[in-house]
Amino acid sequence: MVPEISRLVRRSTFVLIVLASFGVEVAATDGRAVGQSICFLSIWIVVAAVVAQFIPIPTDPRSKPPLWLFFLLLGLALAPFVVEPLRRNWTGDGYPLEIQMVCSFRNVGLGFSVCAGWLLCLRLACVTSLFLILFSVSMTNHPAMMVVLGMYTATGSIWLMIAYWSAFRSVFVAPEKTVTIELHDSCERAPWLGFSVLVFFLGLALALVLVGPRRASYALGEWMPTSGGTGATDMFARFGVGDGPEETAGDNAKAAGMVETDKMIEDNKNSLIDAVNDLYGPPHKPNEDVERMVAAGKVDVIQFHGKLPDNKRPSRDFDTGRKGPKGNPKPKSQGARGVFEVQGRTPLHIRLVAYDIYEPVEKRWLEARKPTGKLIEAQGGDWMKLGFLKPNDWYLADERHRLKVAELKSNLVPTPSLLMHFRINKVDKSDYYEWDYEGVLVLAGRKSIPPGVIVTTDCRTVDPMRLPKSAFGTVGGTNGTSPNLGDVPSIIRPEILKLAREWAGDHPRGWLQIDAIQRKLLNEYTLDLNATAPPENPAPVLWFLNESRRGPDYLFASAFALMLRALDYPTRICMGYYASPDAYDPETAHTSVKVTDLHFWPEVLLLDGHWMVLEPTPGYGILGPTLSLFERILDAFAFLIFWLYSHIIKFTLLFCLLFAGWIKRCDLFDSLAFLIWASFPGKTWCEQVRGAMAILERRGRLSGKARKCRQTMFCWLRESLLKPSKPDADLYQIALMAQWAAYAQEAPPPWSQPEVLNVCHRVLGSWTLKRWREAPPDFLIGDKS
Amino acid sequence: MSILTDDAQTNLALKGTLLEGIRAALNRALRGKADVVEKVIACLLARGHLLLEDLPGLGKTTLAKAIAFAVGGNFSRVQCTPDLLPGDITGFSVFNQKTREFEFLSGPVFSDVLLADEINRTTPRTQSALLEAMAERQVTVDNIRHTLTPMFFVVATQNPFEHHGTYPLPEAQLDRFAMKLAVGYPEKSDELGLLAAAIGYVDDPLIQKSVLLKGQLAGLQEQVSKVLVQPNLQEYLVDLGRATRVHPKVTLGLSPRGLLIWQRVAQAWAFLKDRPFVTPDDIQDIAIPVLSVRLGLAPDEASNIINQLLETVPVPV
Repeated sequence: MVPEISRLVRRSTFVLIVLASFGVEVAATDGRAVGQSICFLSIWIVVAAVVAQFIPIPTDPRSKPPLWLFFLLLGLALAPFVVEPLRRNWTGDGYPLEIQMVCSFRNVGLGFSVCAGWLLCLRLACVTSLFLILFSVSMTNHPAMMVVLGMYTATGSIWLMIAYWSAFRSVFVAPEKTVTIELHDSCERAPWLGFSVLVFFLGLALALVLVGPRRASYALGEWMPTSGGTGATDMFARFGVGDGPEETAGDNAKAAGMVETDKMIEDNKNSLIDAVNDLYGPPHKPNEDVERMVAAGKVDVIQFHGKLPDNKRPSRDFDTGRKGPKGNPKPKSQGARGVFEVQGRTPLHIRLVAYDIYEPVEKRWLEARKPTGKLIEAQGGDWMKLGFLKPNDWYLADERHRLKVAELKSNLVPTPSLLMHFRINKVDKSDYYEWDYEGVLVLAGRKSIPPGVIVTTDCRTVDPMRLPKSAFGTVGGTNGTSPNLGDVPSIIRPEILKLAREWAGDHPRGWLQIDAIQRKLLNEYTLDLNATAPPENPAPVLWFLNESRRGPDYLFASAFALMLRALDYPTRICMGYYASPDAYDPETAHTSVKVTDLHFWPEVLLLDGHWMVLEPTPGYGILGPTLSLFERILDAFAFLIFWLYSHIIKFTLLFCLLFAGWIKRCDLFDSLAFLIWASFPGKTWCEQVRGAMAILERRGRLSGKARKCRQTMFCWLRESLLKPSKPDADLYQIALMAQWAAYAQEAPPPWSQPEVLNVCHRVLGSWTLKRWREAPPDFLIGDKS
Repeated sequence: MSILTDDAQTNLALKGTLLEGIRAALNRALRGKADVVEKVIACLLARGHLLLEDLPGLGKTTLAKAIAFAVGGNFSRVQCTPDLLPGDITGFSVFNQKTREFEFLSGPVFSDVLLADEINRTTPRTQSALLEAMAERQVTVDNIRHTLTPMFFVVATQNPFEHHGTYPLPEAQLDRFAMKLAVGYPEKSDELGLLAAAIGYVDDPLIQKSVLLKGQLAGLQEQVSKVLVQPNLQEYLVDLGRATRVHPKVTLGLSPRGLLIWQRVAQAWAFLKDRPFVTPDDIQDIAIPVLSVRLGLAPDEASNIINQLLETVPVPV
């Protein structure tokens, strides 16, 4: 059944897509202000409505939409990605990539609906609206969604009635007067090209994910709708649809919600009320007034106005208060899911212990000394500031994190590196804090930090590439760096120094030098938690570097730190918790850190007093600065260029192959089709002839001599190729065979099966695509004789 | 390679001879109009009736008479005039004074080939006298049914509508014709040949020579009815028929009777081309004469609209 394309149908289609767009906005707001989103949507709808005024209505709805429509839709599809950076700048709010994709799809749907004069666009607009409304309904349970859904359903019903009015009319009018027929403009063709392109791109994406560079895999992973993202590359990506609102608020350890409590002002000593209770007993609690119901006859109740005398009261009464069903006797686990929860971008390194002296005899690191001096200043509003740090312009925007303590057994205040400010609710004096090691903050005078405490931190972010050479101090330099930080045992120093110089290459002192060594470890060494050095080995680090080339993270950290020390960088190694992006939970929008997330990493001292985290262990990362969308695109583009340049030969070959394949695509497809037919020609002679004729017909179509809708195969071949001046017996024979195969299947064939196959082979072999193309224009189909 | 048996080959040869004989006879009568003659034979073999519409003097009557002679049947002719009555065609009962009974005097309709010349010059009342005869090959007079011959074949001629003193044929009448043909003016060479052949002859004796023996036409018609029509072609026919009913310019869509006639004529067309099955080309080749008689189309637009319909519905392959 073909829908009628009246103005009403077009308008109701527009309403459908508008309602679906509202649904998308409701689903996408996800805690944001709905009004703002609706306002943005309204702008798009107004734009679409205005554009609709300039779109012409085709005389034949079945005609092919014009080419400019493609560019219009492409522009609409790309528009949300262009507008998004502006929106982020103006409003400070943004959509994750998957919602941008849905918005892009919504725009395409709006585009289809304004071009609904073409039947194809009308159908696609309806399908788009259906997809969007289903997407919205499945993504949110917002009450407004039900309203939108109801309106969509009603409008959809009206659309169906209008669109299929002629069919409805047949119910009321005599059937013989309302015959309808579906007319086909052209013969149906399977969309092989579209299917092939789809398969190609899916395969490419899959190949990139599986074997491509890791960064590309991450980027593709964040394109997955409703993934929520990890926030590693786009801060808005972690608030995707389905992120966040499921978090449980509360102050018990299990609750992941970041709800600030007064835990830190609670005291375990007896309060005044407790003292009073001890003296005078607990306060009297009168029994609650229990309502009772009396069973009596209706007449008595009316006669005595509901207050029955005693002689009328029945001997039984019952309590209306009821106890609920007994709960599940099996106690639920009250344990937290981690040591603490992190809200904010990850990866994050939370220091626990710092080590600065390597003991060669016992082959272990010794803990660093406790720093003297407080150097923590109250800033107001319970915020604390680290006063000893010098300001520098090589840092980028601060990053805020909130860490909720769950089951931390020590008095550690979990803070990321490059810390600048921090805050715990109601803890407003700097005396409550002290340093266990440099950069490791603890609560003074407490053995542990209570569950539920939330630490809010602002830490700096740094792009190491922007660090100047002067950012890295030297051991024992003018800045008063402790000589311990450059200490390398003399037994291993020559070899370590040799390796370090070899790996650093010609890079000048500074980040490039450090990065060269780090890359070497990252690329050529393997993380293996079980690969420990033999106990009798005098230098486990050298064993790791020279022999095994695999080991646990502390060997990576030790080796890197010692090599940097050999090059006169003040370094230390730290043990702490690593908040991995892989542990990100999209339901709570938090990353939980468990006891098993303990990790070792080296750090290098910067001149301003900050310890900068280094990460030589494969599989671990460092929190980078938050880049704007434009910077990310530029970064990705630069990376792509670099990647392409590094594989220039492969890509040139691939490009040449693809280009040649594209140029010769028709011949390739034709050869493939012939190969398939030759391998599986069919069981009966009819199938064989039909297969051969399909190939011939495709060749005719590719060479611009397509069969017309009203032409039979015989007529088409007779009029296009079978010229009396150049009779081709085989072609005439196959034309006859095609006629028999199509219209006389029940009649006994006048050919044997081998004969049919031979003729088909000869025709397909002689009437190649090239020959079809070379056939003169007067061989084109003429008038029927 | 032939897969036919000896009997079948004999039949085939006989069929060829007969058809060639009819073709020769009709082409002799109507010079230079081989395509018209071919369609006339198809109409005859399909047991349909033929309406010839053209200007006076183009050989319509000659062709009708040649058909009658060729098939070896009785020939009757009715010159339709405004004062012609239905009884003049069907016949009527008269009272026999001797036998004291009514006797039925059969009209010209009781023949094998009836030529209704200038049929649209008579009134619709008289035109309707042929309805039963053409559809059911019988005539009912005074409540008595009279059966016509099995090979009853009506050839009607008519002048174009715009000519003075014509009554358009009713739709019911038109639907009973298998096809409508226009003879058209012959080529110059044919006209020269026509003139040359007329010298020395009062009438062409060869035209009056019978080609078929009694029963041979019925045999051919039976063979035609057995020509294979695949279901996909029947579906194609039905699609075409339904397309005529929704076309905005077609006032009267194709009736199921029209579909049946179209299929029969297509079978006859395939038979004439020595093919044991029908193809879409057969259906398309005879679409214009079959459809133009019954779709209620303006004469100048008929071929365009029919071609449009044929372009719209895809052929089965």
